[in-house]
This record gives sequence, structure tokens and C-alpha cells, in this order.
Amino acid sequence: MLDWFWLVPALPLAGFFALFVTEGKLPDRIVAAIGAGSIGLAALVALGAGMEFTQSGEASYSQTLWTWMAVGNFTPSITLYLDPLSLVMTGVITGVGFLIHLFATGYMWKDHQEPEGYSRFFAYMNLFVFAMLMLVLGDNLLVLFLGWEGVGLCSYLLIGFYHRDAENGYAARKAFVVTRVGDTLMAIGLFLLFRELATLDIQTALGDAAQLDPGMATAIGLLLLGGAVGKSAQVPLQTWLPDAMAGPTPVSALIHAATMVTAGVYLIARMKGIYDLAPVAQFAVAIVGLVTLLIASFTALTQTDIKRILAYSTMSQIGYMFMALGVGAWSAGIFHLMTHAFFKALLFLASGSVILALHHEQDIFKMGGLWRKLPVPFWSMAIGSGALVALPFITSGFFSKDAILLTAWDHENAGRWFWAGGVLAAFMTALYTTRMMVVAFFGETRTEPHDASRINMWGPLVVLAALSIGGGWMTFSVLDDLLGAISHIPHTHPAALVTVALPLAGILLGWLVFSGRLRVGALVESPFGDAVRRFWQSGWAFDWVYDRVFVRPFLWVARVNKRDVVDLLFRITAAVTRGFHHIGALTQTGRLRWYAANMAIGLIVVVLIVASV
Amino acid sequence: MAIEVPVEHVLLVAAALFLLGLLGVLVRRNIIFLLMSLEVMMNSAGLAFIAAGAKWGAPDGQIMFMLILALAAAEVAVALGLVLQISRRFDTLDVDAASELNG
Repeated sequence: MLDWFWLVPALPLAGFFALFVTEGKLPDRIVAAIGAGSIGLAALVALGAGMEFTQSGEASYSQTLWTWMAVGNFTPSITLYLDPLSLVMTGVITGVGFLIHLFATGYMWKDHQEPEGYSRFFAYMNLFVFAMLMLVLGDNLLVLFLGWEGVGLCSYLLIGFYHRDAENGYAARKAFVVTRVGDTLMAIGLFLLFRELATLDIQTALGDAAQLDPGMATAIGLLLLGGAVGKSAQVPLQTWLPDAMAGPTPVSALIHAATMVTAGVYLIARMKGIYDLAPVAQFAVAIVGLVTLLIASFTALTQTDIKRILAYSTMSQIGYMFMALGVGAWSAGIFHLMTHAFFKALLFLASGSVILALHHEQDIFKMGGLWRKLPVPFWSMAIGSGALVALPFITSGFFSKDAILLTAWDHENAGRWFWAGGVLAAFMTALYTTRMMVVAFFGETRTEPHDASRINMWGPLVVLAALSIGGGWMTFSVLDDLLGAISHIPHTHPAALVTVALPLAGILLGWLVFSGRLRVGALVESPFGDAVRRFWQSGWAFDWVYDRVFVRPFLWVARVNKRDVVDLLFRITAAVTRGFHHIGALTQTGRLRWYAANMAIGLIVVVLIVASV
Repeated sequence: MAIEVPVEHVLLVAAALFLLGLLGVLVRRNIIFLLMSLEVMMNSAGLAFIAAGAKWGAPDGQIMFMLILALAAAEVAVALGLVLQISRRFDTLDVDAASELNG
């Protein structure tokens, strides 16, 4: 099966081409079969290859397809590189990706917002899966960058999928431009790496990394972190992710929860060799993660749009992953990436079912009382929420988050701070998740749902729910060999007990407050409480600041410089030429005798000059 | 016994004819006179060729004169057509009337 491994990225690409060249002329059923089937087959091949790979006991397997280009000594090849890290990523991308595609066949069916877009949607989705697979399977940073930009493009296309609404186009452009900032930093990092080591081959570069000057290693580490921050929506480049929820819900599940936004985590884990040499850069990773997970979890508490709540929740969970990588809990970070892909995809798909049943109503305060009427989405949401808040011992999220927090506790520099921040955010996570569940699913019914889901929609929910619970029992020891083991603090340690207890406290508090049993109205409605709420709701005013610091000055400069100052040079040239033209035109009078006289005078002058020489 | 005419005299006559023709081109406004002045200028050039041919006893001068004659005939054929057009369009033979093609 390993020999056929190239089929894993090739099948989604083939699916994309099939849907792309037929320009939406295929019947919807065939589109669904191609769109979801290509990913399903890829998942099967990946499963078979993965089993063969793990049984072989080899550390890595690579399959060179062809040489991309040969420029002197620079000969990057298209090579698929399989090791435990990329195997986990491939499993998530194809497996969760297939479930989301399957869900989308139902979700996008006869979509009233975009009736003709069925084929276009699956073409973009298949292209995305292909690009994401190239990102994680490329053994060369150039191939990785190809995938990196490819997923950025697909993200742009799918955020702006409902392009008839100008706001969605704005959200798509915002996502594209903001991530481009990070991508530029990353590209500079890659240039530096290539200048220093003369190779972009990941394994060779990591092997030679010891030659790097420590300052240079730190610079490269920080620049790559810049790219990861942009792609993974971490502070300070996080502002695009909430707006990215303008895309269809399966897109949010696949791209903006399960896979693409975790590419930054993958990049840092993949370049572990660099970060081992650059403790400062690694510490910066942890700081970015900590700041993001705190900011995002507070923001999520005040959002009213169910998808925006989940978007901020995604940001904060990726913050956990960054913090894990930063404190050295490499395998725990990747483990959390995997469990997060399960439960966050589940949450997004379940919320998609709810949104569809309520005719595209996304405000949780207009939902309510849905738990009896939409049982499958409700129980899916409940299980996903349980994993998100890390309910102890029965959910996958607990095992991964626990591993991260306890390893953070062990970190020699600021471990207690990282642990405290992480636990506080876990408490907030429990609070906002409980709020979302209580407000949206309990209480009185505010909008009457109509359940239109079919088996292709609730089937994936059931599978993902099972994974959200059982995923935690999957061993992640395969990753330990590659990325180093994690902390093994016993669960009787006080820190471990607090880590377990705080989310439970958060759930209890959330239930008391949002079911109305505990009156907090006075606190929330006080001027201070209201100001804090509005500050959090705006995402800690990042958009406001960026609007004033970057967007408005840029627009002002653009307006002032409407007649482009660089163009002045060319405009002067044109003006001078035109001046000569006017002078020349004066001589053209149309009078024949005037021309003749001039000719005669000119002839005399020439003769005189020739004679005098 | 032919009378020897010095070549300088012939060239002086040719130059005088040329200047007269040129003056005619410059001062006359009637297009017919303009054409006639042009003919005079061409004949002055022809005369200079003849004189030069005679001086060096070469036939080239006379050949050039015949070329000029042919040229003049062709020129008149075209020019008279233009004259007809101008007189029809502008209802005059004044060459300055046809000065629309200016910058």
C-alpha cells in the first residue's frame, strides 16, 4: 500500500480537476460522489499506507515522485515524506476531511444562497485537501510553501463563497491580506535558511542546523513563527478568523477549525530542530500561545453568533497547541491538534445542522429549547462541548489538554505562569461553552426548527462524536519517539487536581448564571461591566486598533497619492514631448508656398555650411 | 562653325532661370503659375545638365535632360488633376485657400 501512497494527494487533485473542467455541468449527485468520494478513497489509501508504515517499524518513509526543477545545486524534488507527525496530520486531513465532505454533500444540497455553487464548492474543497496534504507531506520547504499558499488561496475562495454579498468578499480579502503578512515573514525565514544552509530539504536542513549561528537560528525561528501566527490566527494576526466564518459551515469546520489553522502548529513541530537551537524563539511560541488563548477565551464569552463563539474557541485551542510546543510538550501539542480536529469539526458540523434547521439563524439568543427537537445535533454539540471543556477521563480533549497543562507546569522558566494562564483559560472555556449550550439548546423555543438532515449529515456527526470521546484513548506514544516525551505528573498532584477541577467549576458557574439561577444582572449591566463586555466582544479592540493604525492611514495615503507620485516622472516626460509637439505643429501651416520658402532657405543654409567648411 | 559659348555663361543663365522659377513659386498664388514656375526651375536644371554634358563631351547630360522631360510630363499629368480638384472644391485657383492640413 505504501507504493500507492502518492494517490493520497493525487485523488483530491483529480477530483478538483474533474469538477473544475466540467464547469458545474455535472448533475449534483455525481458532483457529490466525486467530491466526497475522492477524499474517501484518499482516506482509505492513507489508512492502508499508515498501517503498513507503522507495522514496518521504520522511522520514516519517503517517496520521490519527480524533480521539480534543477537550477544549479538547487534541485528541489516533489517527495512525499511520511513519519509519525505527517501520518497524524494526513490521517486528520483525509479522515476528518472525508467526514466533513460527506456532511457537506447534505449541507450544501439545494443551497438557497448559492443554487449553482454545488460543484464549485466541492472543487474548491478538493483543491484545499490536496494543498493541505502537500503542506504536510512535502519533505521540502518549497513544497511545504506551495501547499501553504495553496491552502491560503482555497481559504480565500471558500470564505468568499457566497460572493453575492459584498461583506463576504471583504472577509475573504481580510483573511488573505492578514495571512499574507505572516507568509511574507515566513518566506524571509525560508530565504535566510536557504542562504545559511544552501538547502530547503527539511531533513537535511534540520541535520545541518547545528552549523547555524545561534542568533541566526533565533531569527529563522521567529520568522517561521510569524508565518505560523498568521496561518493559525494567533495574536497579533488573529483578526481574520472570526470574519472567516462568513464561509459555509463545512468550510469553517474543515479549514478554519480542523486543518488549515493548525498548519502553523505543524510547521513549528516540523522545524523542531531549529527551535531546539533557539530557546528564545521557542519561548516566544509559548508566549504567543498563552496570550492568544487568554484573549480568545475571554472574547468567546461575549459573542452571540454561534460560529464566532466557535471561531474564538478555535483560536484559544490553537493557543494551547502553541503553548504546548513552546514549553516543549511537542507530542502533547500534536495530540491536542488531533483531538481538537475531532471535537471542533464535530462542534462546527453540529452547529451547521442547527443553523440549517433554523434557516440560517446563527444568533444563539434566537435559538433556545432545541435539545428535544434536534436530538442528533444536540447530543453531538454536547459531546463536542464536553471534549472542548476537557471533561475528565471520558473525553479526548481532557487527555490532550491535561498533558499540555501539566507539561507547562514542569517548564523551568515560567512554567507556573503558563500553567496558571492555561487553567484560567480552561475555566473560561468551560464558562463560554456552557453559555453556548444553555442559551442555544435549553430554555424556551425562540425559533421553530425544521430538521432537514439526512443520514449523510448525521452520520459524520455520530462518527466524529465517537472520535471525540474515544480519540483520547489512542496512543500518542508514536509521537514521543519523534518529538520527545511529555510530563508524567501523577494525577494526585495538587496542580493536576486543580487542572481537573477548574473546568468543572466553570461548567457549574456557567450553568448557574446562564440558566438564570444566579443573578448577575447588576454586575453585567454596571457601566464597568458593560464596558468590559463591549471590549471583549470587539475581540479586545484589535480590529479597532488595526483600523486606525494600518487601514485608515493606508487609505489616506492612497487617497492623497491618487495621482501616484512615482508616475510624476512619466507624466513629465509626456508633458515635455507634448510641448515639442506643439512647437513643431506651429510650423505645419498647410501653406504650400511657406513650405517651399523654408525648403529654399534650408537649402541655402546647407550650401553655405558646406561651402564654408 | 558653331559659336563657342563659355560654359560659365550657360550656367549663369541656368542659375538665373532657377531663381526666377523659385521666385515665381514663392510669390505666385495662382496654382497654374506655380506649376509653370516649377517647369521653369526644372528646365534650368536641364540646361545645366546639357552644358555640363557638352563641356565634358559626355552623353550623360542629354540623358539626364530626357529624364527631366519625362519627369516634367508625369508631374504635369498629376498636377493638372490636382488643379482640377482644387478648383472644384474651393472654387478658386488660389493655392493658399487649400491650407486646411495644418497643425
